Amino acid sequence: MSADVLVIGAGHNGLVCAGLLAKAGRKVVVLERRDILGGLCAGEEFHPGYRHTGLLLDTTGLRPWVVEALDLSRHGLTFETKWPRYFSPTDSTDLCISCAPNGGSELEAPVAQRWSAFLDFVNRVRPAVEPLLNEPPIDFASAGAREFLDLVRHGWTARRLGKRDMMELLRIPPMSVADWLREWLPSEHLCAIWSLPAVSGTWMGPRSPGSAANLLRILCTMQMPVAGGGDALVQALAASARARGVEFRTGCRVRRLRAHAGRVTGVELEGGEEIAATAVVATCDPRQTFLDLVPKRQLSDTFEARMVRFRQRGTTAPVNLALKGDVHWASEHGARAHFVRVAPHPDDIERAFDAVKYRQMSERPVLEIHIPTRGQPELAPSGGHVMCILAHFAPYHLEGGWNDDARARLGESVVAQVARFTTGLREQIAGMEVLTPADIEAQYGVSGGHIHHGEHALDQLLTRPSPEAARYATPLAGLYLGGSGAHPGGGITGAPGALAARAVLHSSGG
Amino acid sequence: MAGRYDAIIVGGGHNGLVCAAYLAKAGRKVLVLERRHVLGGAAVTEELYPGFKFSVASYVVSLFRPHIIRELDLARHGLSMIPLECSFTPHLDGPGLVRWPELAKTRREISRLSQKDAEIYPEFSLAMTRMAYFIKNIIDRPAPDPTSLAPSEMARTLEFAKSFARLDPDLFHLHSQLLTMSAVDFLSLWFESEVLMAPMSCSGIIGTFLGVRSPGTAYVLLHHYMGEIDGAFRSWGFHKGGTGGLSLACARAAQSFGVEIRTESSVAQVLVKDGAARGVVLENGDELLSRAVFSNLDPNRTFLKLVNSSDLDPEFLHQIRRYKLRGSSGKVNLALDRFPEFTCRPGVGPHVQGDLAICPNLDYLERAYDDAKYGDFSRRPYLNIVFPSLVDPTVAPPGKHVMSIFVQYAPYHIKEGAAAWPSRRDAFGDAVIDTVAEYAPTLKESILYKQVLTPWDLEQTFGLTEGNIFQGELSLEQLMFLRPAAGYARYRTPIKDLWLCGSGAHPGGGIMGSPGELAAKTALSAGAV
Repeated sequence: MSADVLVIGAGHNGLVCAGLLAKAGRKVVVLERRDILGGLCAGEEFHPGYRHTGLLLDTTGLRPWVVEALDLSRHGLTFETKWPRYFSPTDSTDLCISCAPNGGSELEAPVAQRWSAFLDFVNRVRPAVEPLLNEPPIDFASAGAREFLDLVRHGWTARRLGKRDMMELLRIPPMSVADWLREWLPSEHLCAIWSLPAVSGTWMGPRSPGSAANLLRILCTMQMPVAGGGDALVQALAASARARGVEFRTGCRVRRLRAHAGRVTGVELEGGEEIAATAVVATCDPRQTFLDLVPKRQLSDTFEARMVRFRQRGTTAPVNLALKGDVHWASEHGARAHFVRVAPHPDDIERAFDAVKYRQMSERPVLEIHIPTRGQPELAPSGGHVMCILAHFAPYHLEGGWNDDARARLGESVVAQVARFTTGLREQIAGMEVLTPADIEAQYGVSGGHIHHGEHALDQLLTRPSPEAARYATPLAGLYLGGSGAHPGGGITGAPGALAARAVLHSSGG
Repeated sequence: MAGRYDAIIVGGGHNGLVCAAYLAKAGRKVLVLERRHVLGGAAVTEELYPGFKFSVASYVVSLFRPHIIRELDLARHGLSMIPLECSFTPHLDGPGLVRWPELAKTRREISRLSQKDAEIYPEFSLAMTRMAYFIKNIIDRPAPDPTSLAPSEMARTLEFAKSFARLDPDLFHLHSQLLTMSAVDFLSLWFESEVLMAPMSCSGIIGTFLGVRSPGTAYVLLHHYMGEIDGAFRSWGFHKGGTGGLSLACARAAQSFGVEIRTESSVAQVLVKDGAARGVVLENGDELLSRAVFSNLDPNRTFLKLVNSSDLDPEFLHQIRRYKLRGSSGKVNLALDRFPEFTCRPGVGPHVQGDLAICPNLDYLERAYDDAKYGDFSRRPYLNIVFPSLVDPTVAPPGKHVMSIFVQYAPYHIKEGAAAWPSRRDAFGDAVIDTVAEYAPTLKESILYKQVLTPWDLEQTFGLTEGNIFQGELSLEQLMFLRPAAGYARYRTPIKDLWLCGSGAHPGGGIMGSPGELAAKTALSAGAV
């Protein structure tokens, strides 16, 4: 068997990449270790009769140009027509907020004013930030004429912001998200609600410098969410790829890459089967790609050492609850909420983060929650609900290691946190799935169980994953990196997969 | 009244004195006004207890720029440095760790923790030295303004960018990591032993409100290597007779150029007329006129206390109000009857003649930080200890000792509120002494005198807002062209003829002298004074 291009991993980036390569006429085979497509975005039945819509809850970062290039709307992709509203309870008051222009309308007057001023600022700087995430990273180091032009072009876009906004923009990335938000928002609770996505999946708390860059990136790429979540996106991507002739092989584990004379020649599967190809795009994480799949002695010691040190320690535990009936939040806002963030104060997030420094799980985890059954009741038996939770923080390297007992403790602390703000939760629970970082690694094949395929810290975002492999091509000719471990990083954007496809096409002459 | 001055310097800290000296050297008539009875600001020596001289606040010199020493001829004016050669980290079990000036000796010590780390240690030192050369370029010149379209600015920015581009790709990558990573992550690129990394990472957190695992702390590690490359003295040193000696050398140099210095002259206000600084008003009501005013005070004090807010643009005021100064450290100074024995390595050997760090492992440091995050001083703080009397007999009577303990973390904003610090001072001092006593059990009985400085005290005594020893956090968003505010990183302020010359200006805190020097040179070349 052979192909022009093999794509390892059928996560959303793998599907995007495959689709775009096929669109350009390449014969593409996608190899997926699991039995279903979608990776962390795959929707699954996690309890008899109950389905979730993927482990990654936020689809607002999906790049419109990817949707367009793959013609995804023709393959069934639709978008919500309303901005997601985030409900957040505390022991005393609740908030409900969105990024819509009037998204702060339920806030008290002075807070609402500051919130809308903050969004105004974000919208002003967005034209300077967004292109950086839509294109390959600027290659500072090689400093050729093209790079210089890139730099000037980006500089010019930024310059158009005016001196004040530009200075302000330069200031933000190294800041901590808590410091940044506190400059704008006179409400600790509101700061907490927006600090949470900035540290989601990372080894950072809201006081960690550099976390502001993550929020900036999220806000500057925000679109309407995909109707049906990650699962619906996967279905559309798969349909689009199939229509262009992409072949899928599921339940198919790659044992190692085959290389000859410093060039990839194909892959060898677990069963011993070999598939030849002129190019391979690995959409699995960088550590797995370079430390497990690339044959020994194909990479320099320096590069290998960099991959060993690439920080990929997962901190997030997805927890899915199957509920027999509705959840009753203490406040009425909660009854309508699709998205809930349980993080009353930035210090609550920081304390939850403190635990992972000492290799412990948070006693009071902070939670990002999506209740997909609010929009899609068919995901649960009649009257039932599904609650998809990303619980922070649970360290990959738990003291004593992960086992059934530790997993149960984690599940209990998450349930206890939800129960703090709801009534009758425990009686409604029909089943529960708890995925520790170790489980994510074992089941989804992501090293370290890191949902972003590598820490979202400035050093690993500026050069992702290392100078030798920062622009999708890698030191091993014919091998490309196309997952969240490549620029612009994790989350559902489709950009790494699309830009990797572009790099493959470039090098093979369009 | 000596008539009108060319320049009045508000604050006689080392930067103010350096600035004054440069201005006077260029022929300007300069007056320095110091609020306290002693010169030097935070770089002072005081005899707090008969026979014992204390470097009350700043206790070691590492970064003072060698060209300033040459240009101001400071050696002739009494500058006299004593190198601080080793670094001792006592442990509760085992012999502790000493990093010696001799590489081979250090590697033997490290090999007890990790053979691999011992082998790679020289490679790390080499990499740091190479980077220090590069960073030197940044701190020895004014910050470029990347947003300006003026040709001279664009040339400066381009020159700056080119100096990056000239680096080979590996070194370029290393620099970007140095500027963004945490001290621990950065050190982990070489080392594996957390016990080794603990004292090494500490230089990244001094004076910051960050932990050793917080991104952005790697950069300050370099400061340890800066002195080394200049050849003037080794990386860390004491000034003979106390840190204040350095300030006095600067003062004498300034006076030799004709600078007039007045102590116990507290400035109440900068006189602003038609948007320009025209002199100062003292607390006693005296008005002193000058062509320009240089403030050695931090940006917060300068713009929010010395100047009427009506003289400033609200946007600028907003930037100054949000400028972060959260002090995080305190100081305990002790006069000792005899030297306290460190259990893990007893005796008054060469190992205690450098600095001592209480930081047994990384978790210890993180827990110290965690206490501070939620508004407490660290129950078990990171301590940096020196005994100047071991290498400089002039600071204590024979056989007796001066012990200087730098303490982190002590947040200015404790949960009881900063004003409650006086009532927490004793408990804070006890936590520090109890911590040391775990390693040196005889300490408590040898204490003759104790001075405990909380961040609140640093503010009260030295005028450092929120007790910040660097006049503003050294975080990336407060460095270079953003220090202290966008568009005002070149010592100029929105008020014409009012200049900043302290650590709140580029390149920031530490006893460098650079802000003072660069402020003077910038103003002179602009013909503003």
